[in-house]
Amino acid sequence: MLSVQLLRKQFTSVLAVDDVSFDVPAGSIFGLLGPNGAGKTTTIRMILRILEPDSGTVTYNGAGFTEATRDTLGYLPEERGLYKKSRLIDTLLYLAELRGLQRSKARVAVMAWLERLGLRDSAHRKIEELSKGNQQKVQFIGAVLHDPSFVVLDEPFSGLDPLNQNIFKDILLDLKQKGKVIIFSTHQMDQAERLSDALCLINKGRVVLGGTVREVKKRYGKNSLHLEFDGDGAFLSSLSGVQNVVLYEHSAEMELTAGMTPRDVISLINPHLELRKVELLEPSLHAIFLQTVGGTQPVPQAKEEGA
Amino acid sequence: MNKILAVARWEYMEKVKSKIFLIGLLLTPLIMVGMGVLPTLFVSQEDEHSRIIGVIDPSGTIIEQFTQRMQTRYLLKNAQPNYIVLPLAVGTGISVADAVADANRRVAADQIDGYFVYPGGGGDSTVEYRSKTVGDFALPARIEEVLKGVVSEQRVRALGLDPSVLRQIAVKMDVRTVKLSAKGEKENAGFERVFLSAYVFLMMLFLLIVTSGQMLVRSVIEEKSNRIVEVLVSSCSPTQLMAGKVLGLSGLGLTQMAFWALIGVAASLQFGMQLIDPGHALLLVVYFILGYLFYAAIFIAAGSPLNTEQEAQQITSYLVLVLILPIVLALPAMKDPNATWIRVLTYIPFLTPTMMALRIPIQMPKVWEILLTIVIMLISIAGAMVAAGRIFRIGILSTGKSPKLKEIFRWIKNG
Repeated sequence: MLSVQLLRKQFTSVLAVDDVSFDVPAGSIFGLLGPNGAGKTTTIRMILRILEPDSGTVTYNGAGFTEATRDTLGYLPEERGLYKKSRLIDTLLYLAELRGLQRSKARVAVMAWLERLGLRDSAHRKIEELSKGNQQKVQFIGAVLHDPSFVVLDEPFSGLDPLNQNIFKDILLDLKQKGKVIIFSTHQMDQAERLSDALCLINKGRVVLGGTVREVKKRYGKNSLHLEFDGDGAFLSSLSGVQNVVLYEHSAEMELTAGMTPRDVISLINPHLELRKVELLEPSLHAIFLQTVGGTQPVPQAKEEGA
Repeated sequence: MNKILAVARWEYMEKVKSKIFLIGLLLTPLIMVGMGVLPTLFVSQEDEHSRIIGVIDPSGTIIEQFTQRMQTRYLLKNAQPNYIVLPLAVGTGISVADAVADANRRVAADQIDGYFVYPGGGGDSTVEYRSKTVGDFALPARIEEVLKGVVSEQRVRALGLDPSVLRQIAVKMDVRTVKLSAKGEKENAGFERVFLSAYVFLMMLFLLIVTSGQMLVRSVIEEKSNRIVEVLVSSCSPTQLMAGKVLGLSGLGLTQMAFWALIGVAASLQFGMQLIDPGHALLLVVYFILGYLFYAAIFIAAGSPLNTEQEAQQITSYLVLVLILPIVLALPAMKDPNATWIRVLTYIPFLTPTMMALRIPIQMPKVWEILLTIVIMLISIAGAMVAAGRIFRIGILSTGKSPKLKEIFRWIKNG
């Protein structure tokens, strides 16, 4: 269990993180969402003690931070890079040693991970000789090879091809099974929706939305019309009777305004488009994100923020 | 502690394998030897062909004897005369100015190596040897020697004496400088050797600090630009990271020194010359290590707020200027190692190690001076490390625009 309480960090001119609180139980995946510059990375850095918070606390399985805590943390930073001229195995051994793993044990762990991700034959190659995808794998190994209790991944899926995304997803689910605390930040709402058990949305340093995915969606109610269609849907954005329209090429999501029924809206759309699928659902996280961060509508107040 | 060692080991192993290190390791002694040996080699190079020297002697008093002596005294290896004297005509309708113009043409056309005009008068005079190349120290000295001989002989004759008197009254007086050790014993060290060893040690210390300082800065900038530094400082505290880096790099410096010392010992055994007193060497190593640590802190402080190689190069070049200063002072320091200003400079921590490297081979400073400078260095190192640690902690996480100096001072103060 990782618990973040009223974390706050002021930089010279901006309040980057403003009383952020949330709990992540063991064996769960927590999504930290928010637009660029919202304070996600700063929050993560304070959890990892790269930065010291101005106030507030982070407790790790109930205990405060000590130097020994560092060995239970695993971290994949957002912007990636490795020592280009160094050998893969040397780099990983170094990272493992820095997390307090003995060299002999580290070697076993490194080889096991390389085997698992199909990099065994590259162990003695220089990092710069690896493909970008493989370099990302190496970094991922660096974050988890010392079997940390708290795994923090900043934008783990950005820049990954679908194949690697799948590999990483499987490893995350595996870590969850093993009872780790997993925190990841992302812009990709569909990823967050599918992977996380709970989430919190940060904007301008403040938590604006939080809870389990189900709770969050429930708060918005089943008031969202999801359509699939053929034809030009451009007019949907200015359709009366709906708001917060999220328009794609052949699908759309929109919220019914008060007093409107799905039937009313469909009758407005029908003359212009060939509807293939119509569903009344909770809004997607994507729509919630746009709505919340875009500030088009006041956020429904949650009774307990965070959680 | 284990983490500090892990960082140190990494820094050491990765850099010891790097090409830059290997090149520096091997090239530096070569450069040292090159700088010491090559110039003297070129200067003392003997001519392979005879050189033609034009002489304009309007008085006509010295030309014959000068020619005879010049051509017989200095011979090439193949017994040919080293210098062939060409009398340039003056007299029948040709003025000195015409002769000079003619001689200038000949020099330009490479017909003659150079020429001089003998002003005559049989007394003290200044003679200019005019040539395209003026780097040859031997030739003017030889011309002077021969001219002196010729003129002196003529003057002795004019007094009605036998020229052999000259040889009888000539007294050779050779004055050498001999260095006395602290105990007042004679040391077998001439000017060149003292100068050379002071120079060599200065250069070694300088190169050692600059190369490793650059490596340090470069590695910090690399870690910042690929963001590995975030992983590092979540794995260990910034203090541990910095300590590990300093330790690893010191190991690297010691490796380098040990290797060079080995070459030095091998060279001195081979050529039978002792470059430096072992006691001096030991003391120098102490200053080497102190200087190394001090500058490691300075380089960390200067390098960690930076984000690009260009900025790093700029900062390093300023530090190079500070480090190189004592090399400029080498000559005046040799003349008067006890000059107040030399001694004052020794107490500035930035200069202490290099000034001492300069002073020790020239004249051993007093014991209290050595103790005092060591204490000053230790205090400075401690202070610099604390300040560098504070800058490092914030600097390694700062990206984008490099902070202003004022901001950095605030980091130090608030740390």
